[in-house]
Amino acid sequence: MEEKKSEERKFKLNRLETTKLMGPWVDEHWASIRVAKAQGKKIAWSIGPLFPFAYAMGITCHFYAGYAAYCGGRKGVPPILEAAEAGGQIIDTCSYHRLHLGMIDAIEKNIPIKEDVLQPIPDLILCGRLCPEHSQIGDSLFRRLKVPAITLDLPPPQKEEDLKPLENYAKRQCYEVVIPQLEEFCGRKFNYDRLSEILAVLKKAAMIRNECWKFFERIPSPWTLWDYAVSIAPVFYLMGQQRSIDYYQQLLDELKQRAGQGISAIAPEERFRVYWDGWIPWTFLGTIMRKLVSFGANPIVGRYPWEFFPHPEHIDPERPVDTLIEQWYSYRMATGSSPEFFQHSLAEWIEQYSLDGLIMYASRTCRVWNLGELDIIDDIERKYGIPGIVIEADMIDPKFFSEAQIDIRLQALFEMIEARRKRKR
Amino acid sequence: MAGIVGGIDVGSLCTKVVLLNGNRNILAYKIIRSGASYQGAAEASFNEVLATANLGLADINYIVSTGYGRARVSFAHNHVTEITCHGRGAKSIFPQVRMVIDIGGQDSKVIYVNEDGRPVNFIMNDKCAAGTGRFLEVMAGALEVDLDEMGELSFRAHTEAKVSNMCTVFAETEVISLLAQGSDKADIAAGIYEAIARRITGMIGQLGTKEPVVMTGGVAKGKGMVRALEKKLGITLLIPPEPQIIGALGAAIIATEQ
Repeated sequence: MEEKKSEERKFKLNRLETTKLMGPWVDEHWASIRVAKAQGKKIAWSIGPLFPFAYAMGITCHFYAGYAAYCGGRKGVPPILEAAEAGGQIIDTCSYHRLHLGMIDAIEKNIPIKEDVLQPIPDLILCGRLCPEHSQIGDSLFRRLKVPAITLDLPPPQKEEDLKPLENYAKRQCYEVVIPQLEEFCGRKFNYDRLSEILAVLKKAAMIRNECWKFFERIPSPWTLWDYAVSIAPVFYLMGQQRSIDYYQQLLDELKQRAGQGISAIAPEERFRVYWDGWIPWTFLGTIMRKLVSFGANPIVGRYPWEFFPHPEHIDPERPVDTLIEQWYSYRMATGSSPEFFQHSLAEWIEQYSLDGLIMYASRTCRVWNLGELDIIDDIERKYGIPGIVIEADMIDPKFFSEAQIDIRLQALFEMIEARRKRKR
Repeated sequence: MAGIVGGIDVGSLCTKVVLLNGNRNILAYKIIRSGASYQGAAEASFNEVLATANLGLADINYIVSTGYGRARVSFAHNHVTEITCHGRGAKSIFPQVRMVIDIGGQDSKVIYVNEDGRPVNFIMNDKCAAGTGRFLEVMAGALEVDLDEMGELSFRAHTEAKVSNMCTVFAETEVISLLAQGSDKADIAAGIYEAIARRITGMIGQLGTKEPVVMTGGVAKGKGMVRALEKKLGITLLIPPEPQIIGALGAAIIATEQ
């Protein structure tokens, strides 16, 4: 039969120049951990956000989730997960954890994996327990590796009244458990001054990052949520480096330039502005972006990416431990996964970012960000007339990623938005 | 108004084609098994419907594809999701429709439509064959009857056997166990339909029932399934004369607007 050309309009993504700096930077970071181990230095694995304490003590530290994101982006995930499954791991458990168990198996059993995603086995486990599974992860690594483990419970609050008691509980753990045990491990006093320096740099970088966020309000937006997602590391596990301030300043300059010239991240036009809920799909960033761009859709804002020091103006480097914990509770880094707290923010975001639809990315092996997604869609649809869809996949595990299932849901979302627009005309 | 247009719904189990004339009347339609090649099924079904209508491809002004294999139809001018197409197709037959239950070969959907028949919301089953046409085929196989017979059987049931698993593989094992325990085939058939109805009702429970409700997709041809759903939902479902072609019909209607 004769092939007929589709009349669909073609869209393309205008990539930012600044974000291209991130690839070499993260390569360098993960390589530095391999180098440190080879030089005989002790290294830590940080599950959850305990790495600032390690950095303050000069311990080379591997951040669990940061590595999983990196490995996903570098297409290194499948063989490592296969190593984990060959070792008996169940595929329904946290894919970030399976990735690390697979790494241990690969090293211990000489299973070949790519050099650039190889990470050495740690001498210390730091476990900041933000979710029930984090507790199991810390225990599991301790049983497996038999290296010291230091834990900090950071329970997610469910209501406003929870914030202060939980904040005080976390602060006490820092002073009574985390810092004394770190001092014992290192054989020296905790370096509060260094933590203050790290937080002072973080504050500057995150303040500039917040200026960059304002550009998501512009129509068309000069950047995408994916551009920001790959820029999270400088305000998280790469915190405290002068380079992070320089990076965000360069990003801000580029966004100002684009905005001044009216350049849209999606060319020739941004047809849809969507909210992205749940994890960033690290292994599938390019695949999903190509799908979104084919509709002229831009992911503008998301619950998880807004978790990283959204209120840096309140960081007080003179009180380094207290201010760090306050960021988690008083300033809402630990509230993102709670639907009770969250619906309020999303309602504000609908107008602030001129959103057309919601995409809820439900991760099969981490449900903490998926609580109440259907209820949120229902609530937002009733109040604002904005439709939403749920896509079920995973942060990094390709076994749970079905393109056809995602395609139909995305296309249906944009058809629904179009149908609503037609009725308004 | 457009001249002759076509809608083609390439589903996971069956491919359906509808040709409409300029007055949106059906000139011809065809249903064939999709098999392993969506492109092949698309071409074969379209050639067959053209032959039935005594037309050539050049006589067709515009073609819209839909369904699981919609992007594989190289001769289509555009592709639209089956969510939109079932809404538009159901609307063309039942103008008052507000909700469509489509149980297809591989997935089940509940689609909420506005007064134009355009979707405003939808719920789909997750990534397995639970509550779909494929599920029913496997269960009918376990009972050693065809789908029509299974429907008839369910009407002779004295009670509904409890089929608790919705995983196709586990449910098949459960049906085999029930047979081994001496349960009546009719009761098992009724239990199978009840299990699917329970699942669809659970999907609807997320957003509520909005009447009138039209049921589309090949599974709507089965009286046993329709009766079980009506009983569970407590409403009367509207069933098109040929429910399996509603997606293709909706695609053809969209083609008339191009």
